[in-house]
Amino acid sequence: MSAAGTPGLPGAAERAAPGPVRHKGGAGGVRGWLDPRGRTIGGRSFALHRLTGVALVAYLYVHLGVLSLLLVGESAWSDFLGVVTSKGFLLFDVVLLFAVLFHGLNGIRVALVGSGYAVRHERALLWAVVAIGAPALAYGALHILGGL
Amino acid sequence: MSETGTRRLRVHRFKRGDGGAHFDEFVVPAGPRTTVLDALRWIQLHADPSLALRHSCMHASCGTCGVQVDGQEELACVARLGDHRGDPVTVEPLANVPVLTDLVVDMADFFRRFGDRHPVLRASEAVAGAQPPDGLDRFVRLEDCIECGLCLSACPVAATSARYAGPAALSAAQRLLEEPRGADRDDVLAWAGRPEGAWRCHVGMECTRACPADALPAERIMALRRELGGREAGARP
Amino acid sequence: MAQARYDEHVLIVGGGGTGGALAHDLALRGLRVTLVERGELTSGTTGRHHGLLHSGGRYAVSDRESATECIEENRILRRICPGTLETNDGLFVAVEEEDLAYLEPFVEGCAACGIPTQRLTGAEALRLEPNLNPAVLAAVRVPDATMDGWRMPLRFFATARHNGAEIRTYTAVEGLLVHDHHVSGAALRDHVTGRCGEVRADVVVNATGPWSERVAAMAGVEVPIRPSPGVLVAVRGRLCNMVLNRLHKSGDGDIIVPQRALSVVGTSSWVVDDPDELGVPEDHVERMYAEGAKLVPAVRDTPMRAAWSAARPLIGARSAGDSGRELSRTFKTFDHRETDGVEGFVTITGGKGTTLRAMAEVCADVVCRKLGIDEPCRTRETVLLPHEAYYRAAA
Repeated sequence: MSAAGTPGLPGAAERAAPGPVRHKGGAGGVRGWLDPRGRTIGGRSFALHRLTGVALVAYLYVHLGVLSLLLVGESAWSDFLGVVTSKGFLLFDVVLLFAVLFHGLNGIRVALVGSGYAVRHERALLWAVVAIGAPALAYGALHILGGL
Repeated sequence: MSETGTRRLRVHRFKRGDGGAHFDEFVVPAGPRTTVLDALRWIQLHADPSLALRHSCMHASCGTCGVQVDGQEELACVARLGDHRGDPVTVEPLANVPVLTDLVVDMADFFRRFGDRHPVLRASEAVAGAQPPDGLDRFVRLEDCIECGLCLSACPVAATSARYAGPAALSAAQRLLEEPRGADRDDVLAWAGRPEGAWRCHVGMECTRACPADALPAERIMALRRELGGREAGARP
Repeated sequence: MAQARYDEHVLIVGGGGTGGALAHDLALRGLRVTLVERGELTSGTTGRHHGLLHSGGRYAVSDRESATECIEENRILRRICPGTLETNDGLFVAVEEEDLAYLEPFVEGCAACGIPTQRLTGAEALRLEPNLNPAVLAAVRVPDATMDGWRMPLRFFATARHNGAEIRTYTAVEGLLVHDHHVSGAALRDHVTGRCGEVRADVVVNATGPWSERVAAMAGVEVPIRPSPGVLVAVRGRLCNMVLNRLHKSGDGDIIVPQRALSVVGTSSWVVDDPDELGVPEDHVERMYAEGAKLVPAVRDTPMRAAWSAARPLIGARSAGDSGRELSRTFKTFDHRETDGVEGFVTITGGKGTTLRAMAEVCADVVCRKLGIDEPCRTRETVLLPHEAYYRAAA
């Protein structure tokens, strides 16, 4: 490219501008994790890992907020317990348990694969996550919901 | 292209200075062997000569014709239309690199992610038992990686981090550790250990799935991390 | 970025190997150079090449002019393109009794053209290439090599760009500016923006290979080009390290070129009118498998990666035969002032991937002579930038 460019070449000014970067899932950012098209199970587990991670962080803050109710007084805390032990709300506990189990177990898988120790068994480890996580979730769910 | 029917294609269009991007739909003749590239070239010749796309070798060796077909990264020259169920089949440029026009991405953004040394000629391991002839100390061959950018497009981390070196560049660094070809091992490890280097990967494994040359980028990133981990452990007093 | 030393401006039409090498040559000589290509670089014929950097052996018996060009350019490219060639040499292999009759003429032809040879017994050939047909009777080693049909030419473009040439892809020539038997530039359409414009040049060079007849017609002149396609088949797996040729008169499917983790079997030959519409005849694909398996039996059971066609630009009258095999592989520069009385317009065509630099040298000599510029060619000694410099320079 000569400094001035060839006179008369059409489109020179428009070409000089940086092009738009497209991401999966449209405009990009976080949606790029979530666009399921063309993804295999590895990409989906990545997306789920990120989602459960974000959810657990959010839960942590909610949890801290809720604990601060204790500062308000005993009746506030009792009212709160009434809400969260209702049948509908306990379903959230099951979802929470799912997030904890998946994020924790998959985290072990990611750490093992990601540090180069079990790269070839990456798929098998994902099934191990399911094999350990699913019964644990079922047991926990029965315990939470059946304890009513 | 033996023609036994037609398929509908939905193709990403973007002409600079003409406002935003949009999709155009075309009906193309399609047979059992018709590739996505055959279909796109048919459009160029018979429907819209202004459609811009990259292609060169037609046999998955140059790495220029990478696109997303129904959201999946593929080389258009070896992607069979028959393997895609979309109706229409959607063809888009690669993700995570800037678009020049239509289906053409600007590969300068892909190559800027590589380290300084980037040799593409390596020792050949092919054909067990073959003796090199007199005067040749070893057989050589070109690297598996064809620098097509499919891995970078498929990588979910690259979707949110423009600075991430990405699978191809990190794999190239790992190849330098395997076969240095004059590279300095510590320099390579220092480069790969940067915050935007090997530790940024989150084991989505999509790069290895997308790679059309079986260059195993994800496995190479993990191997690189092992080397980096060993180095950091060894450096501790 | 280097600045041109001369004001004279050359517009090159066609971003294949020839155009790239010409842009590099003219930029080194200090001219202002602009190259336009309607699609991606090397998307016409160059990139679809089987990747064989010829030693000249293939032409040593039938076409010594081409063979001599090949071995000279082979040596130069090894020097100026280090790191982009699989320099494993090649074997011409006799697998049937009748192939042996070709052995002596082949070795003599190579000697006459300056191509070094080494005779090998069948057993010696099998030690070098264990996948060869075990019936191999004899082989001759020659300095063939595998080049990368994309990265090798890209090094010319990278270096040309570094030296000040403007390389413009996705820019199609809509017409030539012709007034009173004088070509003064081209009307262009930019496919990135859809915009049109006109670029003036002191000389316009038509480097469009099998499309050169079409571009020449825009200036109202004819060039005797016959687009002659061949089918190539890439199979998965690197079945050999050296380039394998059948030791016989050039025919179909008698070359296997290892390329990365692929093996490319080529090629066939026929003649078409439209280089854009080649097709891949099924029977040619089957022939590549059948003939390739005579050299390396494992080809038969190796899955296909791709089958494609590429159009060679062969020089020859329309009255020539219809297989293309009898047309010379040499190249030619047409100064249309001399052939047609049209000033400012040159066509470079014919030739092959291996001779891209030589084609550019001859053409650049003609261009400089026309412009009254006395600058020597420097491309024989100038080591090219690595291929990715094409992109890094742009960033």
